[in-house]
Amino acid sequence: MIKGKCWVADDYVMAYDIIIQEYWTSAIDPAENSKWVMAGVKEEFNKENAFKDAGFTFIVAAHNFAGGGKSIEHVITGLMGAGVQAVFATSFARLQFRNAINYGLPFVTCDDIDKGCETGDELEYNPETGIITNISKGASFQSVPAAPFVAEVGSAGGLMNYVREKIAKGEPIE
Amino acid sequence: MGMTITEKIMARNSGRDHVVPGELVWTDVHTVMTMDYLGKTCFDKFRSLGKTEVFNKDRVICVSDHLVPPPNQKFATMLNEWREVVKQHDITNFYDLGRQGIAHQIMVEQGHVLPGTISIGTDSHANTYGAVGAVGNAIGVTDAAVAMATGKAWFRIPKTVKFHVTGKWQPWVMAKDLSLHIMGMMHWNGHLLYKSIEFTGPAIESLSMAGRMTLCNMTVDLGAKNGIIAPDAITQRYLKDRAIGDWDMIASDADAEYDQVYTIDISDLGPTVAMPGKLDDTVPVEKLIGTKFNKAFVGTCTNGRLEDIATIAKILKGKQVHRDVNMILVPASQTVYLQALREGHIETLIEAGVAVDTPSCAACAGIHTGVAGDGDIVLSAGNRNMTGRMGSKKAEIYLTSPSVVAASALTGVITDPRTLSI
Repeated sequence: MIKGKCWVADDYVMAYDIIIQEYWTSAIDPAENSKWVMAGVKEEFNKENAFKDAGFTFIVAAHNFAGGGKSIEHVITGLMGAGVQAVFATSFARLQFRNAINYGLPFVTCDDIDKGCETGDELEYNPETGIITNISKGASFQSVPAAPFVAEVGSAGGLMNYVREKIAKGEPIE
Repeated sequence: MGMTITEKIMARNSGRDHVVPGELVWTDVHTVMTMDYLGKTCFDKFRSLGKTEVFNKDRVICVSDHLVPPPNQKFATMLNEWREVVKQHDITNFYDLGRQGIAHQIMVEQGHVLPGTISIGTDSHANTYGAVGAVGNAIGVTDAAVAMATGKAWFRIPKTVKFHVTGKWQPWVMAKDLSLHIMGMMHWNGHLLYKSIEFTGPAIESLSMAGRMTLCNMTVDLGAKNGIIAPDAITQRYLKDRAIGDWDMIASDADAEYDQVYTIDISDLGPTVAMPGKLDDTVPVEKLIGTKFNKAFVGTCTNGRLEDIATIAKILKGKQVHRDVNMILVPASQTVYLQALREGHIETLIEAGVAVDTPSCAACAGIHTGVAGDGDIVLSAGNRNMTGRMGSKKAEIYLTSPSVVAASALTGVITDPRTLSI
């Protein structure tokens, strides 16, 4: 069970606004990438550590979260470094959806979630059942549960750990 | 039930007879591509998996494209670290400055992508590989590291949407116009999120490999997982002296199931332009005739090929770029550059007042070579036009085909190439 407050984004939050151009060539590192995460999304986050200091555990978004066609993983590590533990959206862009799975950061698809939350609301997420509860509003939402492979990668702490363990044990990857 | 070409490729490379959309599989990858600014991280992550040798050193393709030639000390140092790590891993195919090109161009032109196989790359436009009937997929450095170690990648089988394109192409209308038209129709990262897109029909079969690459390239901007065109005689001819390895003529089954089928008559399509800011805000060129701009750019993994250069040379031959316009051409690879030089296009373009720069991603990534400044209005044959993409957030980018860029460069205002007397 994960509990914390949420930040509600608009439609089409773009990957290249989550991590702006000047940081695309930075090292992939949660501490580093989280300093300027979301800098291009809202003016209020365009200050060092601004999004991180706001202390959001969840992001709630609508269509095509993290889209625009950037495959850089800084987007995911930036969010993780800022303390984000799950993102709920009506849809995700595939490049970052994939990266999120590979890092074990839940990108959770949930219809209507964007209409049921306001920034600052206290939410609770149960990864086992997929139920998202908005404690502040007394409402709950059923999200699409993670596929078994995704859950397995998540509990290994990401694809690197998952594959590293398999390689160490000499197990096939299939 | 039959399978689409993408399903068949996913099935055969995961050792299955059959797959269905939604299924999750680990597949073999034919090649893994990475580039200068992310490559070192891929190798570092790869070693952290407990491996020292990549799965096949002929099949990890390394390219310098985003940072070359280095415009500053930071990039120069990054490139030095990159060269060191590629050398350390004894990678066979390293396309460094001097032999460089944009990674996606290199992958196809040098025969590293084969019909019926899966190739992945750490840059979003890896969808380009679908032009030869391969599944080309953009991935992050984590997937690249895993594939370098194991020769495998995981995929969810996507549903396929078919675009059946009929009719005859109007003069000066290019594959880019069709890409932008579909973008307007389906929306940027809109209805095609996660889908596989298959292009079929007589108007696709008549397209050259350059046009097919443009079309598949921009499917990533539709939000799609991949874009693909079944191999045919044109593919065969193109791959004859390039393909490294065996391949066969894979195609969708007649009874394959599609999520949606759209039919487009290309005879109706004229030159198309995407307005600054959003890729799907597209209009026919007629609506913008007379619009002023000051920078013209042809290049990128979308439109920097020989055919694109030949097209702009044909338009600009014996004429002069308008005095209020700065035009830059960046060929997609050294091979393309040399061919264009031998065919006389480079001479034609320099005489017309076009600046030609060495192959790289150039200003498309907004990091060097002709970046946009405050107040610039750019007419670009690249692939993205969002605010700040080519540099300044106070610049505007119109996206269109090379023929519209060249025709407009002559007059200094957006011009329909069909109205030129050539």
